[in-house]
Amino acid sequence: MRFLRIAATGCVLAAAGAAVACGESLGGARTTVEGGKYTVAYTTSPAPIVVGQHFSLDLAVCAKGGVPAPQSVRIDASMPEHRHGMNYRASITSPRAGVFRAEGLLFHMPGRWDLTFDVVADGATQRLTSTLRVE
Amino acid sequence: MASARQLAAIALVAAAVPAIAQAPPPVTFTDAEVRRILSLGPWPPPPVVDPSNRVSGKAEAIAFGTRLFADPRLSTNGAIACTTCHQPGRAFTDGLPRAQGLARVDRNTPTVNDVGGQRWYGWDGAHDNLWAQSLRPLVDPREMGDGVAHVAAAVRTHGDLRERYVAVFGRPPPADDEVVAVDVAKALAAYQEVLATPRTPFDDFRDALARGDAAAMARYPQAAQRGLKTFVGAGNCTACHLGPRFTNGEFHDIGIPFFVEPGRVDPGRHAGIRRLGASRHTLTGPFNDDPVRAPGTSTRHVSLEHRNYGEFKVPGLRNVARTAPYMHNGSLATLRDVVRHYSDLPEDRLHADGERILKPLGLDRYGIDDLVAFLETLSAPLPRP
Ligand code: HEC
Ligand code: HEC
Ligand SMILES: [Cu+2]
Repeated sequence: MRFLRIAATGCVLAAAGAAVACGESLGGARTTVEGGKYTVAYTTSPAPIVVGQHFSLDLAVCAKGGVPAPQSVRIDASMPEHRHGMNYRASITSPRAGVFRAEGLLFHMPGRWDLTFDVVADGATQRLTSTLRVE
Repeated sequence: MASARQLAAIALVAAAVPAIAQAPPPVTFTDAEVRRILSLGPWPPPPVVDPSNRVSGKAEAIAFGTRLFADPRLSTNGAIACTTCHQPGRAFTDGLPRAQGLARVDRNTPTVNDVGGQRWYGWDGAHDNLWAQSLRPLVDPREMGDGVAHVAAAVRTHGDLRERYVAVFGRPPPADDEVVAVDVAKALAAYQEVLATPRTPFDDFRDALARGDAAAMARYPQAAQRGLKTFVGAGNCTACHLGPRFTNGEFHDIGIPFFVEPGRVDPGRHAGIRRLGASRHTLTGPFNDDPVRAPGTSTRHVSLEHRNYGEFKVPGLRNVARTAPYMHNGSLATLRDVVRHYSDLPEDRLHADGERILKPLGLDRYGIDDLVAFLETLSAPLPRP
């Protein structure tokens, strides 16, 4: 009886874990951004981001219940306090459904950067924003 | 009861008296300032090897490049060498506001010290590698030449050049002029990669700060310490002049006029990105010797923006006291003029729709002296005669 109860609790935990663990396959220390329809989880390489050096992003885009699966994602970044964006445009590939890789990003100044993910599915776009401070 | 005005007056006197009677208090840095100071080193950096240049780092190529750099036979009139403008005795600059070759050039001659390993070359970043930047003056009619044919012919016809070419590249100069000229540029690049500025008083301070050695830190002049505090603190200079070379390697508009002469402007980075796109001599082109082409990331991803108009590359500041005059057009004669520029910044001249980073520092005379004193410590003291 006791044994059974433990097993059952384990099951519940695993199920809850599956719901929150978007981007589990990315491994490492992920940053997670919650939007109304999607969750984005990403890692950067190198981590942390070095000012003035290119970095890449690996990300998973997870649809919440009943929302269409993401077809593509656009990634950009800007420094709202300085009113400028990046000097580079990220290129994006998708190694498998729901997983993307962005290359060629570069933060050329220290300070606050807003990293935006525009998730496109069924003709609609949802923007998720991750705010970072780099030194 | 004392009025507010009386209290303020007492406070003023109290503040003023010790300042006059005693030495100014020692400079202290916040944690954030300390982190920024540490990120301006260590120095020197590890040696650069350029995978896009198959002779990078090779002793024979460096020796050949050393000679080529001073050889006027590479110019069409036989009178101009790289050293005409990049003079070794002047920290590889020429002391002129704008360079003078076969004709007058629109821009100031930058140093070629610490030039290896940059992402972009030229004030407009029209080149993504050092050998392409080294080829440009040879084929630019305002600087040394009129095309690759003259360079290739010089290597083929002068026995000494031919012999060294064969020793470095392992074959006689081929029939294709462009291939020979790019090889010459690669030898020139190999030489320039080893030109490095020595350690400076700032580096000694920075390393002392890193190990918490107060006695060694105290040897760095107080004025330079105050100037350094402005540089990493209120002055926000490290927004752009960051890392051991004091540059983020990118492009900004700091309100230097970009008129070359009435009616003609230097579009800076905007034209640089267009020239990059039109060049065969990039890391994404056929002359990159790196079989995996990994370094082409910047060129593949660079994006042309309206704001690039009038932006110029952030120059590194090592050895800056030796490279006057300053800015892409040599329009500021001294470091004091540069600091005054940042202090008074003509905000109306900064593009109204442009980025918002700089604001006038409003330094007084002493603040200006301190920032200049700091910038002067970025050069090694000259050897005593
Ligand atoms: C007429 C004077 C002149 C001559 C001769 C000259 N240069 Fe330059 N050099 C300049 C100027 C001016 C610039 C800036 C060019 C620009 O921004 O468009 C420059 C830029 C450079 C840079 C880029 C530095 C940086 O930090 O971006 C390198 C490298 C360089 N020159 C190497 C050479 C070599 C190698 C030669 C000989 C083959 C040479 N130069 C001959 C004037 C000259
Ligand atoms: C927004 C980025 C930015 C900031 C912040 C900035 N600079 Fe600059 N700096 C530049 C650029 C870009 C140039 C070259 C501009 C040109 O030629 O038009 C430059 C040029 C210089 C030069 C001339 C170097 C040479 O070789 O010609 C000095 C010295 C200098 N800056 C010092 C400073 C100091 C001191 C501060 C802080 C008060 C500062 N900079 C803040 C971008 C910046
Ligand atoms: Cu910025």
